[in-house]
Amino acid sequence: MQSSAESRQDANVVAGLDIEVAGLTKHFGAVVALDDLSFSVAPGVVTGFLGPNGAGKTTTLRCLLGLVRPTSGEALLGGRNYRDLEQPVQAVGAALEAASFHPGRSARDHLRVLALAGGLPTGRVDEVLRTVGMEEYADRRVGGFSLGMRQRLALAQAVIGDPGVLLLDEPANGLDPAGIVWLRGFLRTLAAEGRTVLISSHQLAEVQQTVDEVVVLANGRLVVAGRLRDLEQAQASVAVRSPERDRLAAVLGAAGADVHVEPEGVDGLVVSGATTDEIGHLAHEHGVELHELSARQADLEHLFLELTGAEAR
Amino acid sequence: MTGLVRSELAKILTTRLWWGLLIGLVLFVGLQAGFTAGFAGVSPGGGQPASPGLDTAAGLRSVYATSAFAGSYIFALVIGVTGMTQEFRYQTATPTFLVTPRRARVVVAKAEAHLVVGIGYGLVAAAVAFLVGGTVVVLRGYDVGLGSSGLWRAVALAVLAVALWTLVGIGVGTLIRNQVAAIVVAVGVTFLVEPLLSFGLGAAGLDDVVRFSPTSASSAMSGASSTAIDLLPWWGGALVLLGYAAVFAAVGVGLTVRRDVT
Repeated sequence: MQSSAESRQDANVVAGLDIEVAGLTKHFGAVVALDDLSFSVAPGVVTGFLGPNGAGKTTTLRCLLGLVRPTSGEALLGGRNYRDLEQPVQAVGAALEAASFHPGRSARDHLRVLALAGGLPTGRVDEVLRTVGMEEYADRRVGGFSLGMRQRLALAQAVIGDPGVLLLDEPANGLDPAGIVWLRGFLRTLAAEGRTVLISSHQLAEVQQTVDEVVVLANGRLVVAGRLRDLEQAQASVAVRSPERDRLAAVLGAAGADVHVEPEGVDGLVVSGATTDEIGHLAHEHGVELHELSARQADLEHLFLELTGAEAR
Repeated sequence: MTGLVRSELAKILTTRLWWGLLIGLVLFVGLQAGFTAGFAGVSPGGGQPASPGLDTAAGLRSVYATSAFAGSYIFALVIGVTGMTQEFRYQTATPTFLVTPRRARVVVAKAEAHLVVGIGYGLVAAAVAFLVGGTVVVLRGYDVGLGSSGLWRAVALAVLAVALWTLVGIGVGTLIRNQVAAIVVAVGVTFLVEPLLSFGLGAAGLDDVVRFSPTSASSAMSGASSTAIDLLPWWGGALVLLGYAAVFAAVGVGLTVRRDVT
């Protein structure tokens, strides 16, 4: 805790906490919501927590926040359970669903209630209302808010304690395109300040431009975790056409264990695990005539469906 | 007052329910006090004994203290129930327990805040009972009788009894999280099941059991004069009602701490 106290003095660096989920299992009656789930999330980057509806994302977040008691396993923040944190609102901010407001209470009163309970100066209420750009709506009842406005209020609630960790469940839901661009910048800034930022989504496309790391979940189990860029590269491929397709396939197949070749069309091949440079060089060396040599972008949406869909079946 | 109690108080005062209930309370207590004063000492007929007259201490207590309690405790019960069930109805339990993960503290702070509001309700009820009841007493040509023996103790205890019913409400709200079901059960049990049960037990000669029901205990506190059974002494009633409130609140804390918030 010493180091976090020191770094908090520096205005632009906020100490985030590591998130460590180990062997997390949760049964709701006969339903297995989480099945031996393990992953970790580091501070300083935006991590996407992805999976189809019902994959267990929200249950995982609720376990992390001490709202749901796991059947077994651990979900720790900086090595501690949420309920053992000394100043939870100042360590972790969360927005779990955009509906947790009393419809008859104004946005300002909602935040004031939380500030009072958390021992925060009530001046924070106006500060965070300004941060999320909803000063004009501060004294209106939440019942009349659009989903986008509720999302902003949920975000204001999450950052009211200026926490080092942010856990946001589907924060882009209901935001208009301008709101999504704003959210992306907001989250990137928070991560750049050294905070841990974990955002869940059931749509990869929604967060693809926001996140650096991903943790993908299906049926309560981990599917894949890692840097988004690595996933993109692993998924990238090269399209080749040649009148001597079979000979080229043999040459490429012999080039390395990582190279995979699949026929496409009459004279085409789809090659993964090799770059256009490497394929061109090999073709030249073996005197194979090429009619096309082009890199193909990774289709992440397809990958995402494949990863989570295969598990769901 | 701690920040947590102030937060719980702010929750009550920043929505409209509390003053809606307060309006109902003023009307209900006004009617209760007016009718009690209007018919005090008048025989209902059919050979039934008359209630104590307005020239007796018991009669004045029933106008000022018993009416104040009888016309208001349902509103205290309802605000207690909703204080808890609203957290689940609107899912505000999530932010509440995120700010204060030690959930027992939340329930205790809620109880304290509701006691404050309950005392406020009780004081308003007493004021209305004095205003309306007192007017009728004077109109009937009796002395307003503010100095009659035991009156102020009865009024103070009536106010306390009103406040304690908010705790009973919070307990019910933790047991039954569905708001509508919780209100229906709380009001139904208090105004239908308990009187019927008391009547049945009374008919079976078990007045000793009836005396310990929450409503009888409350009546004893507010110095009511019952023609049906011998009520507990005022301090006995206070202890019994405190006991009910404590048991309900303890059950509430136990359940709230254990259950998942989804």
